Amino acid sequence: MREKKTPRERSKLIEHALVPDTDLDFHDAALAAEGDSGAFERLYRRHVTRIYGLARRMAGPDDADELTQDSFVRAWQKIAQFRGEAAFGSWLYRVAISVILGHRRRLAIHRERTAPEEWNREGGPSHERSSEIRMDFETAIERLPARARHVFVLHDVEGYKHHEIGRMLKITAGTSKSQLHRARMLLRETLA
Amino acid sequence: MEMSDSTDTWRDRLSDYLDEALEDSERSELEEHLEGCEECRETLVELRQVVARAGSLVDAPPARDLWPGIAYRIRETEEGGRRGRSFAFSVPQLAAAAVTLVALSSGIAWQIAGGFSARQAEPAVPVAQAPAQTGLLLASRIASHDYESAIAQIEHVLDVGRERLDTATVRKVEEKLALIDRAIDEARQALSADPSNAYLNRYLAGTMRRKLDLLRRTAALTEL
Repeated sequence: MREKKTPRERSKLIEHALVPDTDLDFHDAALAAEGDSGAFERLYRRHVTRIYGLARRMAGPDDADELTQDSFVRAWQKIAQFRGEAAFGSWLYRVAISVILGHRRRLAIHRERTAPEEWNREGGPSHERSSEIRMDFETAIERLPARARHVFVLHDVEGYKHHEIGRMLKITAGTSKSQLHRARMLLRETLA
Repeated sequence: MEMSDSTDTWRDRLSDYLDEALEDSERSELEEHLEGCEECRETLVELRQVVARAGSLVDAPPARDLWPGIAYRIRETEEGGRRGRSFAFSVPQLAAAAVTLVALSSGIAWQIAGGFSARQAEPAVPVAQAPAQTGLLLASRIASHDYESAIAQIEHVLDVGRERLDTATVRKVEEKLALIDRAIDEARQALSADPSNAYLNRYLAGTMRRKLDLLRRTAALTEL
């Protein structure tokens, strides 16, 4: 006899099977490519939370709003290049990563020179004080050194592989691995 | 606490160990080291916690609606010069989407009416393989009445299962259905402009076949 699902499980399964966002995305992307900003707004509504989350973790809360907007504007400009081979969400995500990393590169010279990569930049707790002050995990991610943060977010939060991260960040897979370890080692202090 | 060189060395490999990225021999050596090194064992536990925590993060939406700023900028883009680009999707594509969606929806409705057997739910007409002209014939043959009838039957299925769903889910489903309906309406409007394009018929027939598959699964799920 087949195992009975709970009402909630059944509801979720039906909802997911009935109208996945991917199909809605496909229609709306087609319309947006024709210049339909209403369709593009629907795409925005469906994806903004994820893109904003990425921007916030990769670049920090101060720049997250602007980078999210930049990402969607870039997507609007490039939507003719979306041909539906992959899910719209994945395509949009790649666009956003490119925007965010481009932003980082533009700021890199200024920020990296004025604020060398340190765990406790921007007032975060120093290594010695970490046992006294437990940061929120999201805040701790934001305060990681930029390269380690990017690799950590892309690998452990978003699930990209080291060779994919290497291509995005223009680093070797080995560097990606070492930066990931560095990030994890720093973050474990927040959970201690 | 002072750590030995060995501990330092192995500690640097703990992430690779967690990610199962070590060679068999190296993994065995590390596991051997772990047996005698409390420091590394503790670090490994903490790293596991970090990875688990990263995987369970929940995205929060922005504090304010960012769309007005985006809308303003894309409007500026448009006003700065109508984009002279080659569209990935064109009016005929949308037209073909409408043709196929209507065809498949109708086919599905007959399957639903026949008792929700997923195995039986094949489209009445093999739309995906049909040449453009067949698609056009379908478009002309499938009357609005047929489509409305198909939708009504699918909605009936939902009504039957509705009492087993919580209110929030029902609302979400209805919202998504409304979005799809709107997309169909827009595609139908585009269809009237230029309905003949073989490539796009094939392309969008494939897309609509995905919809058929989804509805098959939905039909099966109503039996859960």
